[in-house]
Amino acid sequence: MLRCEGATLDYGSYRALSGVSIHVDKGELVVMLGANGAGKSSLFLAISGLRKLKAGSIRLGEHELAGRKPSQIVADGLVQCPEGRKLFPGMSVLKNLMLGAYVHRNDPEGSKPILEHVFAMFPILREKQHDTAGSLSGGQQQMVAIGRALMGRPKVLLLDEPSLGLAPLVVKQVLAAVKAINEAGTTVLLAEQNAFAALKIAHRAYVIENGHIVMEGHPDTLMGDERIRKAYIGA
Amino acid sequence: MNLSLFVQQILNGLTLGSVYALVALGLTLVYGILHIPNFSHGALFTAGAYVAFFIVGSLGANYWVGLIGAALATAAIAMLSERLVFSRLRDSPPLHDMIAAIGLLLFIEAVAHAIWGADFRRLAPPYPGIMRVAGTVLPIQRALIIAGAIGLMVALHLFLRRTVTGSTIVAMAQNREGASLVGIDLTRVSLITFAISGALAAIAAVLFAPINLISPGMGNLVILKAFVIIILGGMGSVPGAILGGMIIGFAESFGAFYISTDLKDIIAFALLVAILSLRPQGLFPAPAR
Ligand SMILES: Nc1ncnc2c1ncn2[C@@H]1O[C@H](COP(=O)(O)OP(=O)(O)OP(=O)(O)O)[C@@H](O)[C@H]1O
Ligand SMILES: [Mg+2]
Repeated sequence: MLRCEGATLDYGSYRALSGVSIHVDKGELVVMLGANGAGKSSLFLAISGLRKLKAGSIRLGEHELAGRKPSQIVADGLVQCPEGRKLFPGMSVLKNLMLGAYVHRNDPEGSKPILEHVFAMFPILREKQHDTAGSLSGGQQQMVAIGRALMGRPKVLLLDEPSLGLAPLVVKQVLAAVKAINEAGTTVLLAEQNAFAALKIAHRAYVIENGHIVMEGHPDTLMGDERIRKAYIGA
Repeated sequence: MNLSLFVQQILNGLTLGSVYALVALGLTLVYGILHIPNFSHGALFTAGAYVAFFIVGSLGANYWVGLIGAALATAAIAMLSERLVFSRLRDSPPLHDMIAAIGLLLFIEAVAHAIWGADFRRLAPPYPGIMRVAGTVLPIQRALIIAGAIGLMVALHLFLRRTVTGSTIVAMAQNREGASLVGIDLTRVSLITFAISGALAAIAAVLFAPINLISPGMGNLVILKAFVIIILGGMGSVPGAILGGMIIGFAESFGAFYISTDLKDIIAFALLVAILSLRPQGLFPAPAR
């Protein structure tokens, strides 16, 4: 469904991604583990068209994405819930969600059930729908960000560290939501440092270090790997 | 104090404030896209006045045709400047945009100078009469300025709040990457924003021209004041631009009357220094971006 081959990305003279090749099959939930600065966000931003690759290709189904505009990529069905949420802080929660459906603006009827679905998944958002997004707590803002991405009706959903900075209980809730989204049929690529929790819901995982993919495998294999346990699980 | 003179100053302040607010609104909207103050915005004000002068004075058309023609032509010039200059500088340091904007300002001014010369030009008011308001006289042109500005502000407000396209402009200003990630096209939003800012500047200029002559440098003082206004009002804030415009308009009108006409143009800048030393973040810090 989503396939990167030899993705290479430079920031000036600094190489953030060196020949990254990954694939996410239809219906899969794949986790990308990596420490701070490993290159997870760089890869995600490149996939969404916000960073230009130096070399390599990114394909969504049969489409080549490299070179397409971010707005076209969203319309193609690849939607990202970015690190740091990137909400519209001065707008209401509802408006943030509705703008998530921007590429489907000619089909407002089709967005209604998705909005209902988002409210059912995160009931607090229904309560706070008229508050400005900037006034919400970090966890609630993360829910808005996930909801906003869902409103784009993704075929492939990228989630960049959705659990960052959240209390353990909220992390659990957010990851449970991610699992449910995947089970409802959306293909998911999830970047996480919270390896233990993420591996529990994943079908497959990659480990990225210094812009290189250093490991790929089944969550159980990674969970059993000594190095992974040391680096990402701390046990 | 003489009441009718006082009312007169209020009306003058409203007139000036309306013109300044319209110019500052465009400037503040474009700030949300470029993240720099667009120095060439003053040239759009000048361009609008000359286009109307050409349509009305040389082609002999009606004032309102001139107004609409000026708004459309200036919107086109603004869009062209976005395409040819600013969009190409999107990934370069902000200083480059600023230098380009100043270059553009000088260029448009020079074009006006080359075509129409340095002489002052006049645009006749469409309704030369006066009306009486609360015991004082109000030239109809001033009433038109005030009513036009209020109408445009309401329309702009509704556009930004109630329409999807308007929301994309606000979204882009509040979080550019967030906007791209929901599929909003930066190019489209930039073009629309520049077009609106150009049209507002042109309409302000054409409304103002009958009570204030047209010349190649007419935009300079206005744009400087518009900067003062958006700094006062908070960069990027729409209500701030309106209120800031009114504050400067009133300060000038009352300052000219009660202090000295010669000091009128200094008042805006004195006010800027005074307010910023008390509130460095401006009167309305811009909504978090
Ligand atoms: N805009 C940029 N300009 C220059 N260097 C950058 C830029 N963005 C990221 N980098 C560098 O690229 C490397 C990878 O960063 P990236 O944000 O992709 O890491 P990450 O895996 O997402 O980390 P984190 O878990 O902290 O979010 C880092 O060394 C970072 O300093
Ligand atoms: Mg990151």
